[in-house]
Amino acid sequence: MPNLDFLTEVGLTHYLILSAVIFCIGMAGVLLRRNAIVILMSIELMLNGVNITFVAFSSYLGKMEGQIMVFFVLTIAAAEAAVGLALAVAIFKRFKEVNIRFFENLKG
Amino acid sequence: MSTDAILFWILAFMTVSSALTVVLITNPIYCALSLALTMVGVSALFVTLNAYFLAGVQMIVYAGAVLVLFVMVLMLFDLKHELQAFTRGKMTGALKLASIGLLAGLIAGAILMSNGILLTKSEAFTSPDMASDTTKQLGHLIFSQYLFGFEALGVLLMVVAVGAVALSRSKGGTHAKS
Repeated sequence: MPNLDFLTEVGLTHYLILSAVIFCIGMAGVLLRRNAIVILMSIELMLNGVNITFVAFSSYLGKMEGQIMVFFVLTIAAAEAAVGLALAVAIFKRFKEVNIRFFENLKG
Repeated sequence: MSTDAILFWILAFMTVSSALTVVLITNPIYCALSLALTMVGVSALFVTLNAYFLAGVQMIVYAGAVLVLFVMVLMLFDLKHELQAFTRGKMTGALKLASIGLLAGLIAGAILMSNGILLTKSEAFTSPDMASDTTKQLGHLIFSQYLFGFEALGVLLMVVAVGAVALSRSKGGTHAKS
């Protein structure tokens, strides 16, 4: 019988590894995708990975400051998505395309 | 196997698989929809960590507001399948994948090395009165100790709301023809 404690006893480590996995998936999206909007979505994934870490630590250490930070991160992420999408709209008007291949010559 | 563990594994599988879908699917609309599924999964994970207020805020802000924004912009662009969804060049792609793997290995190694340190403190948690009361504590902290940050966030949201409208109405900025 193999040791199944890793499967049955969910602790802080599980949440940390899950958030690391989500963060790395988001980073892969930022590096590998060429569509500007999908890159913004991958940034949201990375922020969510960090949020899981904050909430896990806050819950396991019994301190509320982590949840305050998550609250701030959520707001900043919403603001960042709004500005990023407005930039994408402005760029799409000019180039008729949101592939970042076309943004190499942004300097007028 | 306790219900907590089963719930965690189901949520973790759902979150990770939908996050992978965001990165791997070429149609941006499906990316946005699976991002919504990821947000719902993360919000459910917050519930398992007794952060009920944040779970609600996550659902409202992300699954409600940000995702609608993404889908609206995608509908505006009318993008079908991307011709070149992924990065070009096998060499640079392999380099990027290698750097991601390196980061993942570093993080996993750091977490596993710190296993003994982290788990010693975890018994302090889940006294039921503390668990049910997190929303009240959060409110007290926000409106006493972190009041300045909270107000600054309000100002930031105001500036961003105006700036986003101004940006999307601009006629191409430095690229303007006339």
